[in-house]
Amino acid sequence: MDFKTTNEQDLLANNIIKFARNELNEGIEQRDANSEFNRREWHKCAEIGICGLTFPEEYGGGNADLSTTVNCIRALSYGCQDTGLVLALITQICCGLQLHLFGKDNQKEKYLPPIISGEKIAAQAISESDAGSDVGSMRTTAIPHPNGYRLNGTKMYITNGPIADIVLVIAKTGQSQMAFRNLSCFIVTKETSGFSSETNLEKMGLRTMQNSGLIFENCDIPAEQIVGNEGQGMFIFNEMIEWERILMAACYLGVMQRIYETTVNYAKTRNQFGKPIGQFQAVSSKIADMRIKIELGKLIIDKAAWQKDQKIRSTVESSIAKVFLSESLKKICADALQIHGAYGYMKEAGIERDVRNSFAATISSGASEIQRNIIAKLSNL
Amino acid sequence: MNTSEEVRQFILSELINGTGSVDIDDETELIESGIIDSLGIMKLLTFIETKFAAKIDESELMPENFHSIDAIRALLNRLNNN
Repeated sequence: MDFKTTNEQDLLANNIIKFARNELNEGIEQRDANSEFNRREWHKCAEIGICGLTFPEEYGGGNADLSTTVNCIRALSYGCQDTGLVLALITQICCGLQLHLFGKDNQKEKYLPPIISGEKIAAQAISESDAGSDVGSMRTTAIPHPNGYRLNGTKMYITNGPIADIVLVIAKTGQSQMAFRNLSCFIVTKETSGFSSETNLEKMGLRTMQNSGLIFENCDIPAEQIVGNEGQGMFIFNEMIEWERILMAACYLGVMQRIYETTVNYAKTRNQFGKPIGQFQAVSSKIADMRIKIELGKLIIDKAAWQKDQKIRSTVESSIAKVFLSESLKKICADALQIHGAYGYMKEAGIERDVRNSFAATISSGASEIQRNIIAKLSNL
Repeated sequence: MNTSEEVRQFILSELINGTGSVDIDDETELIESGIIDSLGIMKLLTFIETKFAAKIDESELMPENFHSIDAIRALLNRLNNN
């Protein structure tokens, strides 16, 4: 078993860290305060290939495996203090992946290049006001209509919603009592008649990431806009969600590493009672716990990514990665703020932003409670 | 034990255990009856891929291929032939 990354992976990660530190952090305080998405930075990330890391070169992608992609996302969130931007990019990648894995050739040719280049922004519309973790309760319907489907319904809390050019919508297409059989995935572009997005929702954290409701009102979708086949929506969702959970966990790991290093540095240089506070066991134990979480988190992410690269199903491991890394992120952010004391509580330190951001981690892409349900259900109880 | 029987035993022991005695023949509707739900399918896929060393392509991930033991057996036959 080899835990070492390759020289190419290390070089790529180091370049991304340098890029992120130099290009993505300026003005983050203001953008966070204003809930502002910065297209300039989005395009910079796209230009260096972040959106296309895992896609074939023929569409403009980097042809990287998931292990390399995970390493890059981790490097990006380590160097970039705008975690909302990183998560918006992950949504872009996951939308592209659904098209890459399940889309028809003409859909890939049409939609993958602008997603990879960042020219078009993509969103994934699944959640509704009464259908969050319980995807099967969704009410959005796609009823057969001449030449395609007529889409009606309202989606909620959609990442990239207010700025999306392309939306992958999961909707009910059948009358079966079992939603699992009913769901299908459609490509909707922002020009489609009957489609509209609501204004950006004000959030506690991740304020640079844009979220909104999306409305589909008698939205006529040509049959060729269905991704995969009718009734394949839950399979597409299940596959995408494994990738999303691994990539989000990688994002959290990068943030954790950044906060850990900031905190170690502070604990070494902040003196109280005649010595650095890191010399006090109450502080050093917290830092040791941070390190434990980072090391273990890295192992489960690497395993889950390796499984996907080997075409091995990673349902349990991706859920373990999601629940462990998201809960670890919250704990590390809270402990970092505590160790920084009054300074940590000030906006100037930047830690309070990471604390606010961290609360979304255990909620989005399947709350921790749902991850544990999945792990339990697949544990032969 | 043949393929159908192995799949049947898995379904009985892992997907509907504790829910009383249920008869499942090769044509029993597994999805509409609720025997396979959205999490159950992940469990079934993991079983199929591990037990039969099968690599199921994304294009084969459709309800039609998992709605009965017959359908699952047909899928496995197709994968073997390919």
